[in-house]
Amino acid sequence: MIAIVRAEWIKLRTTTIPWVLTGVSLVITGLLILVYFVNHGDGGGGGRGGGGTPGGFGPPTPDVPHTVQQLRNLIGRGIEGYIFALLLGVLIITVEFRHKTVTTSFLVTPRRWKFVVGKLIMAGLAGAVLAVIILTATVLGGGLALSAKGGSFSALFHQLGAVAPGMILVFVLFALLGVGVGSLLTNQVAALIVCLGWFLIVENIIGGIWSGTTKWLPSGAAAAAANVTAGRNADIGLFNWWQGSLLILAYGLIFAAVGSAVLAKRDIT
Amino acid sequence: MTSAIEIRGLSKHFGPVRAVDDLSFEVAAGRVTGFLGPNGSGKTTTLRMLLGLVSISGGQATFGGRRYVDIDQPIQHVGAVLEATSFHPGRRARDHLKSVAVGAGIPVARVDETLDIVGLTDVAKRRVGKFSLGMRQRLQLATALLGDPEILILDEPSNGLDPQGIQWLRTFIRNQAALGHAVLVSSHLLSEMEETVDDVVIISQGKLVLQTTLADLSTRAGTASGMRIRTPEVDRLGQALDAIPVGWRRTAPDTVVIDGATPEWFGPFAAQHQIVLYELVTERGSLEEVFLSLTQGFDAAIVGQSTSGQSAPFHTPGAPS
Repeated sequence: MIAIVRAEWIKLRTTTIPWVLTGVSLVITGLLILVYFVNHGDGGGGGRGGGGTPGGFGPPTPDVPHTVQQLRNLIGRGIEGYIFALLLGVLIITVEFRHKTVTTSFLVTPRRWKFVVGKLIMAGLAGAVLAVIILTATVLGGGLALSAKGGSFSALFHQLGAVAPGMILVFVLFALLGVGVGSLLTNQVAALIVCLGWFLIVENIIGGIWSGTTKWLPSGAAAAAANVTAGRNADIGLFNWWQGSLLILAYGLIFAAVGSAVLAKRDIT
Repeated sequence: MTSAIEIRGLSKHFGPVRAVDDLSFEVAAGRVTGFLGPNGSGKTTTLRMLLGLVSISGGQATFGGRRYVDIDQPIQHVGAVLEATSFHPGRRARDHLKSVAVGAGIPVARVDETLDIVGLTDVAKRRVGKFSLGMRQRLQLATALLGDPEILILDEPSNGLDPQGIQWLRTFIRNQAALGHAVLVSSHLLSEMEETVDDVVIISQGKLVLQTTLADLSTRAGTASGMRIRTPEVDRLGQALDAIPVGWRRTAPDTVVIDGATPEWFGPFAAQHQIVLYELVTERGSLEEVFLSLTQGFDAAIVGQSTSGQSAPFHTPGAPS
C-alpha cells in the first residue's frame, strides 16, 4: 500500500491540477483576508465597528481584531477552502477516467478497492497539506495586515493552535469525501458539477426548507468539525466537533465503499 | 510443456450480444502466438478479460493456473500493450513510467532502461500530449516492459508505427520469444504477422476457428493452389470437368477455377477436349486468403445458424404457436 501511495504522489505532482487548485485557493484566501480588513473585523467579540482606522497609527482600537474570537475568525478565514479539498479529491480519482490512465492503474493494481484506498490516502494527505498552506498564508498575510493596523502578530499566532487542528481535519475529511464521490461518479465534469451544485445550491435549499437538517448536511458537519464556536456548537444547532467529523468521514467512506463495489464490476474497455 | 496462458471456455456477454463465445486456446512459452480475427471478432475483449479489466461471463483465463488479479505484482510477470489505453497529456514520459514502476515495486533505474529499449530516451522529459501515435505506442511498450515480464500481451501493437517501427517491433518480438518469453500478439491482418509468429489462434464472431502452427497454415495455403481459366466455352469445359474427380467452380461468366490443377495436367486435358483458351493462370493460395476463407466461411456458417436461431421468437403467420 505504501508503494501505491508513493505512485499516487508521483501521479499527483506531475500534473498541473493540484498546483492550480492550490494557487486559486490561496488567491481566494488572500481576497477573504482583504475583505475581512476592509470590514474592520467581523465583530465576533464586540459588534461590528463603525468608522475605519486610517493607516496603522495609534493603539489598537476596537476596530482592529483583538479578541480571541476575532483572531480565531481571522485565522479561520480560509476554512471555506475545504471546497477545494473536496474538488482535489474528486480530481485525484476522476482524472484517471478522463484520460483513460485507469487501464494502466488497474493493470498495476488489479484489486480495485486497493486503487480506491490508495486514492483516499493520497487525497487525505493532499487535503492536510492544502490546509497547512492556506493556514500559513492566512497567518502570514493576516498577521502582517494586523501589524500594519497596529494589532498584535503574536496574539494572532497564539490562536493558531486552537484553529489549525479543526481546519486540517475538515480539509482531510472533505478530500476523502471527494474521492468517494469521484469513485462513484467517474465522469469528471459530472462529478465536479454535482459537488459544486450541491454545496452552492442544493444545501442552501434543503437548509432553507428544513432548518433542523443543517447539522446533518456536509457543510454543517464541516462547521462542527472545524469547531468554529470553540465548544459551543450546540448553541447554533450543530453537532460537536467529533460527531461532525465522524459524519463527514461516514459520508466519504459510504461513497467510497459503494464506488469501489461499482468499480469492481465495471468493465474497463 | 506447460502453457503460459490458458483460456478455457471463455465467454463474454454484453446483454444479448456474445462478444466471446466458449473460447479455448493456449499460449506456449518461448513462442510467438498470433491472435487473429477480423475487427470486432472479440480479440480485445478476450485480452481484457485475461487481464482482469473486463469481467468474465463464463469460463477461465489464467497465467500458469492463476488469474491476473491473483498474481502478486502482476506487471512483473505479465506486460500488456492495449488499445485505448492512454496517458495524462500533461505528464512527462519518464514521470509516467516512474509512477508505474514505483507502484509495482520496480526499481526506478529500470525506467531509463526501458526508455532506452524502445528508443524514447531523447524525449523522456517531454509531455506525452506532444507525442505522436507511434511514440505513444513505444511508451506503452516501455510500460509493459518495466517489470521485465515473462509473458507479453500486445493488442494490435503495430497501430501507428511507421514501417521502420514495425520492423523494429518484429525483431523485438522475436527476441522476446528467443529469451523464452511467451508472446501473444493480436492483429486483424495475418500478412502483418507472417514473419513474426510461430502459432496462430484464429477467431471469428467470438468463437475459435482454428489453433495451429504457422507451418501448418502455410501447408494449407500450398494445397489451396489451383488454376484460373478464361474460355469462351465454359459450358463444354464444365461438362468435361464433371466427368472426372476434380473440384471446380465458375467465378465469372467466362472464368473457371480448378482446385489443385497444374498447367502440365490441364494443357493436354484442354487439347484433348479441343477447348479454346483465352487465359491460363496458376494461382497459389496466400496465407491471407486462407485466413480470409477461414474467417469468412466461419462467418457464413454462424450467420446461417443465428438466422435459423433467431426465427424462433418471430411467429411466422399461420405457423402453429
